[in-house]
This record gives sequence, C-alpha cells and structure tokens, in this order.
Amino acid sequence: MAERPLTDRLDETVDAILRRGDATGALRDPELAPLARVAADLRHYPSPDFKARLRAQLERKLTMTTVSMTPAVREGFTTVTPYIRVAQEGLADFLTQVFDAQETFSGGGGGGGMHREVRIGDSMLMIGEGGAGAGGVMPVRPVAFHVFVKDVDATFERAVAAGAEPIGKPEDRHYGERSGFVRDRFGNHWYIATALGPQSLASALRTVTPALHVERAEEYVEFLKRALGAVDEMRAVGPAGELRYGRLRIGDAAIELSGEGAPMPGSFMLYVADPDALYHQAMAAGATSIMPLGDQPYGRVGGVQDVAGNQWFFSRPASPSS
Amino acid sequence: MTPTSEDDRLLIEAAQADPARFVEIYERYVDRIYAFVSRRADSRAAAEDITSHVFEQALATIGRFEWRGRPVSVWLFRVASNALADHWRERARNADEPPPDVPDPREFEDIERRLALYQEVERLPEVQRQVIRMRFVEEKSIREVAAALNRSEGAVKQLQLRALDRLRKNMGGHG
Repeated sequence: MAERPLTDRLDETVDAILRRGDATGALRDPELAPLARVAADLRHYPSPDFKARLRAQLERKLTMTTVSMTPAVREGFTTVTPYIRVAQEGLADFLTQVFDAQETFSGGGGGGGMHREVRIGDSMLMIGEGGAGAGGVMPVRPVAFHVFVKDVDATFERAVAAGAEPIGKPEDRHYGERSGFVRDRFGNHWYIATALGPQSLASALRTVTPALHVERAEEYVEFLKRALGAVDEMRAVGPAGELRYGRLRIGDAAIELSGEGAPMPGSFMLYVADPDALYHQAMAAGATSIMPLGDQPYGRVGGVQDVAGNQWFFSRPASPSS
Repeated sequence: MTPTSEDDRLLIEAAQADPARFVEIYERYVDRIYAFVSRRADSRAAAEDITSHVFEQALATIGRFEWRGRPVSVWLFRVASNALADHWRERARNADEPPPDVPDPREFEDIERRLALYQEVERLPEVQRQVIRMRFVEEKSIREVAAALNRSEGAVKQLQLRALDRLRKNMGGHG
C-alpha cells in the first residue's frame, strides 16, 4: 500500500468517505490518517448554494410571518383551538369522566346552542352543543385527537365504560408510545397514548393535539404552509412516497396529519394578532370564505373553509385576556 | 469569534422588534448549526433539510423567545436536537427500527472545530477551494473535476492533497 503515491491513496479515501462515510481503512496508514480525518470532517461541508437558498427562503417567510402569525392568544389558549360541534349535550361530561377535563366556560352560543370550553391537561377544546353553530356555517361532525395521558390502559377502560367504542386496543407502538383508540358516541376519535421512550412524540405535542385525516396529505401540507404559515415539522412516508403521518406547527400549536383512514375534517379557532391578514392569506392560497371578517362582542373574527373541508376561524380577542 | 451574551441580547431584541433583522441571527449561526446537525444527520440532504427547519422554526417562535442570559446558540441547538430527534423518529416509523440516541448539544468543541475548518476552506487559494467544493459538495469524481478545471487528473489529485494538507496544518496539525 505504501508504495502507491499518496495522491492516489488519498483520492481513494475521499471516495470511500463520500460514498460510505468510511475512512477507517486510511487510519492504519500514518501518512494518510491525518488527511483522512480532515476529509471526513469535510464530508458535509456546507454548499454555498444551500446557504443562499435558505436565506432567500427565510426572507420570503419573513414577510408572511410578520403579517400573519404574531400571537394574540387568549390567556390559557394556544394559537389553534379545536371547535367540536355535537348535536346534543354529553361530550363535556364524557371528557370529564375519561380525561379529567375541567370546564372553564359555558354559556349561550351564537347559533342558539351551548358554547363550552374545557381544559384537558395543558390543552383547551371548545364544544358547541345543538343550535346552528357559528351562524350556521359550522357543521356537526366528528374530529380526531391524539391525547397523552399517564396511563393509557386505565384511560382506555374509562372511555369504554363511559360508552366509547374501542377501535384499537392499547398496544406498544414502534413510534415510542403505548396507545389505544376509541370512538365516542358522537363519532369523535380519541387516540389515547402514553409515552414509552425518547422517540415518543409526546415532547413535541401538548396533552391534546388535533389529528386531521385528509386525502392527498402531501398537497395539503403545502396548502397549510401557504395559507396559515404552518411549519412542516415531521413527516413519515409510505412505500410509494405517500404521506402517512405529518406534524405541522401553526404559531405555538401543533396539528397532526394522517393520510390514512377516511377524511375527518374539523373546525378550528386561531387566535392571531391580525385576523384580516391571515384570512386574506388563506383565501389567496385557495380557501373559500364561510364567515366574512367582522367585529363581534368577543373580538374580530372571520372564517374560511379549505379544500379538505377543514374550517379555520381567525380571531383577535377583544382584549388580551378576554 | 463567538458572539457575546450582550450581542445576543441585542440581536434578539432587534429581531423581535423588526423580524427582518432575523436574517442577522441566521448569518451569525447558520454555519454553527449546520456543523452540529451534519455530525448527526445521515446525508447532506438531511443535514440541509434539518438546518432549514431549525431556522424556520426559530423564525416562527422568535416572538415568544424570552431572554434569560443564555446564548442564542443554546436555543438553536435545542431546536436542532428536537429536529434531529424527529428525523430519526421518522426513519423509525418508516423503517420500523428504533432511532439512535438523540444527540446532545454539548459537543461544542467538535462543532467549533468543524466551523473553523469550514472557514479555513474559504481561505484556501481559489483553485484548491474549487477542488474541495467540487469533490465534497458536488461530489464530482477526479475525472469530472479535471474536466471542469481543464487540468489533468494527476494535477487535480495534487491540488486535493495540497488543499487537505494545508487545512490540516492551518487547523493546528489536527489529526
């Protein structure tokens, strides 16, 4: 080996590093080893094009972020709050029984029914019971949620005892959680989970995270990035490259996307500083208006529906802690 | 070379008041974050994706960043650690295999060494720098580099050797 020129031995080592990330062969050659170590550190030497591209990308996002996602969240809420519409009362009681939910507000809703707000762990949910629902634009329909609890087995049993239908018994999942799935009597899916290890999603999620089942999830991610300034945080793809699971961040809240199962669109309240800007941004991205922007006693609000049927209501509270 | 705590505080306050100033945070930290991420990513594409994500995430949350006297890099390393953990979780979901340990950002010495190396590359004579970029960034073969630079393969191998040897010496005889 030593009889071959150093230039050739070095070049073979660089090839091995680039192809396999492996320079171990060179470490036995005292003349080559120090150079091989430098070459190994250069394996991912940053491309000047990449840095320029990323800078341009950030500058484009800066415009969007400035207009849209400055938070103006109600105290105790995050940017995104799911709004579950049900035909009759009973969901809040179910959530109390199963997840130890605390009701923080109840009162007459705008559509004639009851409006309730409940807290589960660090997460808020809004529930509309009966009535017309947001002036008749918000349909009664089930939604899916990923919920982290201390003891999935006990919570699963409580859910079944409270009338939920099991759709998946608690099992250890390869993505770092033990989870079981139920459907409540209103049709909502609850993916109940307890974190098993460091690869669990729990650290990136709050107690309750909406899980949107959508078709063509890959395209929908791009829509949410354009419409709501969502940040694509994680994705898992199937064998054909289809998006099976995705996590996006909108402001300080996360949502999960699933490209599997029947579509389950939902309705969501987004608290933002400039609802007008976000409404127009979502419309420009292809959403349709379901509630023109207007001033309500509780703040300024407008709503859109997107291609997947999800509804997004943009609101700025009447006062920072209202 | 390492920004001071006061520099960081001013930079954060400026970016919170005017998001356009976020670009200064990017320019100051992109190489350091990339150096950290590339140690743990499994490919150049993954390192670039994750680095992009770190700065997008930082931009999205800078409004809520609370200054507590710790360097901005600590915040960015934490975002990067989470993004790397997500990357390996994704791999685990896709391949049904467990992820490796989540990286720990206390690897500053190695990161600073890589950062210094990247800066040394920028100081190489033009033709040596071209060889390094074509070989390591564009992953061109010696033959392709030779064709691009209109030199013989032997000459390009010599340039590659000189460049790496110069980097080794400038890095204090590293290795």
